[in-house]
Amino acid sequence: MTPERLARGQELIARYPQPQSALIPFLQYCQEQDGYVTLQAMKDAGELVGVTPGEVESIASFYTLLFKERVGKHIIQVCRTLSCSLRGADELQSYIKRKLGIGHLETSADGRFYYEEVECLAACDRAPCLQHNLEFHYDVTPAAFDQLLEAWQTQPPQPAMPAE
Amino acid sequence: MALFEPVIMKGIGEIDLTDIDVYERNGGFAGLRKALREMTPDSVTAEVTNSNLRGRGGAGFPTGRKWGFLPKDGRQRYLVVNCDEAEPGTFKDRMLLEYTPLQIIEGIVISAYAIGAKQAYIYIRGEFLNGSRIFRNALAAASSRHYLGERILDTDFSLDLVVHRGAGAYICGEETAQLESIEGKRGEPRLKPPFPAIAGLYGLPTVVNNVETLCYVKHIIERGAQWFAKIGPEKSPGPKIMSVSGHVKKPGNYEIPLGIPARELIEEYAGGLLPGRTLKAFQPGGASSAALFVEDLDVAIDFDSLGAKRTMLGSGGFVVMDDTACMVNCARTLTRFFEHESCGQCTPCREGGQWVARMVARLEAGEGSEEDLRVLDTINSTITGTNLCPLGDSIMPFLASVLKRFPEEFAAHIAHGGCPLKQTPVGAA
Amino acid sequence: MVKLLIDGQEVTVPDGTLVVEAAKELGTQIPVYCYHPKMDPAGLCRICLVEIEKIPKLQIACATRVTEGMVVHTMSPKVAEARRGVLEFLLLNHPLDCPICDKGGECDLQDFTMEYGPGASRLTEPKLHKPKRVDLGPTIVLDEERCILCRRCTRFDDEIAQERNLVVVERGHSSLIGTVDGGDYESYFSGNTTEICPVGALTSKAYRFRARPWDLGHADSVCTQCSVGCNYRVDTRFGKIMRTFTRENPAVDGGWICDRGRYTFNYLYESARVRQPLIRRDRELERATLSEALAVTAEKLGAAAAAGRVGVIGGGRLSDEEAFALQRFAREVLRTNNIDHRARLQKYASPARFGARLTDIDDADLILVFGAVTPEQAPILDLRIRRAVARHGARLVFVGPFKPELAVPFDYVEYTTGAIGDLMEALASGVARGVPDGAPFVAELSKALSDAGKIVAVHNGRNVVAATALERLVETLRGNDKSAGILVVGSQGNARGAEAAGCVPNLGPGYAPVSNPGLTTTEMLQAAAAGKLDALFIVGANPALTFPDGGLARKALETVPFLAVSDQLLTETASFADVVFAAASQFEKRGHVTNLEGRRQAFAQAIEAPVHVAADAAILAGLANAMGRIDVLFDDPDWLFSRLEMAEQAAGTKEPLPRPKLDSAAAPQAEALDAQRKTFAVIPVPKLYAGGGAAAHDPGLEPMRPQPRAIFSEDDALLLGIADGRIVTLAGRNGSITVPARIDARTPAGSVLVTADMPDAPVNRLLDASGTGRVTVTPAEARREVTA
Ligand SMILES: Cc1cc2nc3c(=O)[nH]c(=O)nc-3n(C[C@H](O)[C@H](O)[C@H](O)COP(=O)(O)O)c2cc1C
Ligand code: SF4
Ligand code: FES
Repeated sequence: MTPERLARGQELIARYPQPQSALIPFLQYCQEQDGYVTLQAMKDAGELVGVTPGEVESIASFYTLLFKERVGKHIIQVCRTLSCSLRGADELQSYIKRKLGIGHLETSADGRFYYEEVECLAACDRAPCLQHNLEFHYDVTPAAFDQLLEAWQTQPPQPAMPAE
Repeated sequence: MALFEPVIMKGIGEIDLTDIDVYERNGGFAGLRKALREMTPDSVTAEVTNSNLRGRGGAGFPTGRKWGFLPKDGRQRYLVVNCDEAEPGTFKDRMLLEYTPLQIIEGIVISAYAIGAKQAYIYIRGEFLNGSRIFRNALAAASSRHYLGERILDTDFSLDLVVHRGAGAYICGEETAQLESIEGKRGEPRLKPPFPAIAGLYGLPTVVNNVETLCYVKHIIERGAQWFAKIGPEKSPGPKIMSVSGHVKKPGNYEIPLGIPARELIEEYAGGLLPGRTLKAFQPGGASSAALFVEDLDVAIDFDSLGAKRTMLGSGGFVVMDDTACMVNCARTLTRFFEHESCGQCTPCREGGQWVARMVARLEAGEGSEEDLRVLDTINSTITGTNLCPLGDSIMPFLASVLKRFPEEFAAHIAHGGCPLKQTPVGAA
Repeated sequence: MVKLLIDGQEVTVPDGTLVVEAAKELGTQIPVYCYHPKMDPAGLCRICLVEIEKIPKLQIACATRVTEGMVVHTMSPKVAEARRGVLEFLLLNHPLDCPICDKGGECDLQDFTMEYGPGASRLTEPKLHKPKRVDLGPTIVLDEERCILCRRCTRFDDEIAQERNLVVVERGHSSLIGTVDGGDYESYFSGNTTEICPVGALTSKAYRFRARPWDLGHADSVCTQCSVGCNYRVDTRFGKIMRTFTRENPAVDGGWICDRGRYTFNYLYESARVRQPLIRRDRELERATLSEALAVTAEKLGAAAAAGRVGVIGGGRLSDEEAFALQRFAREVLRTNNIDHRARLQKYASPARFGARLTDIDDADLILVFGAVTPEQAPILDLRIRRAVARHGARLVFVGPFKPELAVPFDYVEYTTGAIGDLMEALASGVARGVPDGAPFVAELSKALSDAGKIVAVHNGRNVVAATALERLVETLRGNDKSAGILVVGSQGNARGAEAAGCVPNLGPGYAPVSNPGLTTTEMLQAAAAGKLDALFIVGANPALTFPDGGLARKALETVPFLAVSDQLLTETASFADVVFAAASQFEKRGHVTNLEGRRQAFAQAIEAPVHVAADAAILAGLANAMGRIDVLFDDPDWLFSRLEMAEQAAGTKEPLPRPKLDSAAAPQAEALDAQRKTFAVIPVPKLYAGGGAAAHDPGLEPMRPQPRAIFSEDDALLLGIADGRIVTLAGRNGSITVPARIDARTPAGSVLVTADMPDAPVNRLLDASGTGRVTVTPAEARREVTA
């Protein structure tokens, strides 16, 4: 484990009465840096909080915002649940998939975009909505998406899954 | 008709309540001051009990009674604040988090004081990154003004509040799954008993409350139990935020006095249906609730009246579907949701949920059969009420209600080999 | 006590009983999948739903506790419907491959479906597919499609084994049973998961596709791979062992067995098995008949005995009856007291007084382990320790020359084997006087002893000074109204039985002292090496590999004019023999064995021995017969057992038991460190799957067999200039071994940990008879490193 990770891990542990509570925050921190939860991060996490690597994998694989494989630098998560679906999410999804040339849970060949259809994002009043690297975008029409895409492509690199 | 004067939504969209000066100028922390300086923990609890406040997180359990379950055995106890909002159709907690985080903090401090917790955790849904940032800032501001931390406002009461972010799992909204998740485990609901009040977080007595619930606690303390108890029906009183979405003119969060008819919420608050459309169905309490229909528009929106209609108020996710909505499609969306979010511990929820989702998807695609309908008809009793947590019980209500009300729509999908409705979605260009 | 009604029948059960258990009292079976009586209720599968009056929803019988006046219905229409539902769900994506499934015939899914399942299938779905034939490592194959996600296996690995390597990954209906990054599930207890898996998802590689349960014959047996004596059932078909299966004895094994016990039987069918007696002719061992072997041996032993120049080694791998027969053969036929079962480091197999029971571990507050590496030497005892520590808050202290890997947290006190006695003395006097003194941890330990209500000490029986001090300590504790007792982990499966039956030079059956004590194993080997013995008879022992002073052992075996060995396999020792008897395995005979706590347990015969193979009792009786002493020994186990019991009664021995005789090499001495690091102290490290006998030859154990290693501390490795994986040669008093080096911070400075009992790298080339030794270390030529 790098000294930096160890230090961060200890900081997180200090927040809680039991070290294991720091496990998910620590994985989120590692994911912010590495782009996904690497095997090394899982090993580090286990060592840090005192659980086996098997347990870390079991826990990490439960949560959909922890990626166990490398995904794109732009994580696009479009809501697919009822309220968005009633207001055009299905069309938006087809549009984005066509535009990016990738499907649900896929990363583009150039490693830039990852696309996922997710469950209700709690923004039903401004449907259809999506998150890009955990940032909300509301009332997204295909045209609006094109604009977003352009903006993302020119914006300086940022972590796809910010930790805090 | 005059709309209800908002209580916890007051100022939202008009002033910047995340600014602690603004919040203080608008009555912020008055409840906290009163509770800590003028009241004992027991009298705070008594006030909340007398108000008949029922939890706004979904189950509607009386808040004062829940606090009363904590054993008086001197053990440390925790307050866990549920801000994992993921019930489809519900978006009120996120709004509170982003727009009035200091009010949440105030509610937390008062409630922690009442139950004697020196440590509180707020579990913020992983997707609410922005909200959690806003909340952290608010937390820092509140601490710097001594509303949190050691010896709050120079009283003997101290409270440490930790922000814990989720990582993507609807089930972590269920209180025991949330405790597991805070403990760094898989977010799987626990077998009960023991209930959290006896053995909760880290095995210690714990109260889990929704953020909206705690916001009301502030106002109950400020204005008194009677003020709250007098709003709406006796057994289900107070204001409540309804998240209205779907086919209405003005989707959004509306704070209503409980007890108003559904018609009023749709027409007066949410601006009514879109031009030229007629109402087909509405879901009053999130994805887990059974649908109601045009003939039910006069139902009063409160815990008991909706319960009597075999649906529920739940978290207040009110989804409106007009005549362009295909019920099979809606059912497919929701059954897929539960399939995706089942933790996988219980057989009926895991396997049954998956089976139902596949059948409904097949029906929607026009590949279903009469046999599917017969199975769906009977499967309710083996999926519902047989699981360890209520998620499994949520799979069937919507589907069963629309299947019963619109059987012809399902039959038509089989007959037509697909959806007979030409759906024109509103949002699409 | 609580009274309730189940299906109209009244039953009274203790407070806190689960409904499912209360129903069992009445003989009512409520189906379960996830529930297992040894584990916490999980409430996952929902097959056990029952109706309880006054509760609107069905409740799970596996987690609901009884209350006074409760009225339970386990067969009502609502219950039947729920069960049918659960079964229907479980079968949805199930492959229904019963005809080729190992579990067929003993599968709870199959059984409950027949009994409670839906009549006709409504399943028109194309099945969802999951991985099949997942290789979970050395012992197990997993079929994820058959898995019903009851999680018994992962909960076993968590709650019982405390290892947490087998886990659930993903969630919802994508959930899978798995390991980190698809790695191996390695556990000494893995086989248990194949038994508790209610379906055919987890199957044993050793048993896959070998037989159907209804075709199997069964024999109730006792495992003799270590001294715990777990009860098991041996399942056979056409006279061949197919598998072993737990046979719960709560007092001994708690319903579990370890993989060494479970999988060690296929060596019987390997080419190394001695299937016919062998006689050395023209330097080669050649096949012979039993009567030839008996004749030659009788003649040679008889002559040596007449001259008073004979010795007998063995007993720890025999049954109690045979151990009795062996000492009787020595004493009454060969007329010598030169008999000793101790061919390893262990000097005594029982505490002289204050013996504890295995179950005493369960509610102990403090468990003190002196030198015994329990996971490697007594795995099922270790499982009890794990449970006591993890679930009942017991404190575990390990005192020994190196820090072992244990599954639960423990305190480690570094003590060389030679000095452990001093520590116990200090503790005994500390506790006695109430004022602990000495090193801080001595004070701390004395305090822990004073604070604990119940203490169990586990010892390896190596150091007699320590043993005596330990007994004094326990005496003091008992004097202070504490519950305290001692367990000695045996070096061979029936070490304690052999000791009690009289396989020691100074004690007859029942610990009756003999008037003219004979030679110990060390003394016999010394005498043989010095040309002072004419014949040695070694029965079920392998001193060439296991005797600490391997040089002495080999010299003795080479020098002695006549060596007879009785064994199942052609061991390192047997290869020196003039006559090798083909001995029956434990599966091929019946009798009793005595476990480490002194519990005598009967085992039944499971299979017939091959034609030319004979039980040791028969070989001994045959020898006695050939030597004209037909009246002294019969090969009938019942006859032998009654004689053993009579002898024990006659001895009437009371505690404290007299100690087996020691020799000058007995006690390891505390040694100073070599500050120059020219030499390193060797610490032999036991490993579960090490050894030259069955473990070396059983194909089932092959994938688990450890690699021999030399483990150094980081500093020493630096000093020696060796990296992890570098091949090194350790040279000691009797030769050298060449093994890969490892670096582990837990190694004490100036010492090297060496895997014990490895045929390819015998640590006994480096040790003296007391088990200590020093070596020089030379890295092998560069470029010969092996990778980890
Ligand atoms: C599947 C499931 C999901 C839930 N999700 C939430 C949630 O997102 N937010 C919430 O406050 N309560 C949620 N709940 C309800 C909580 O379990 C709990 O009742 C609530 O947080 C208690 O707070 P209250 O009494 O203030 O309502 C959920 C319950 C279930 C069964
Ligand atoms: S592999 Fe067997 S024991 Fe493990 S969860 Fe699946 S069915 Fe249960
Ligand atoms: S046996 Fe009761 S829920 Fe599984």
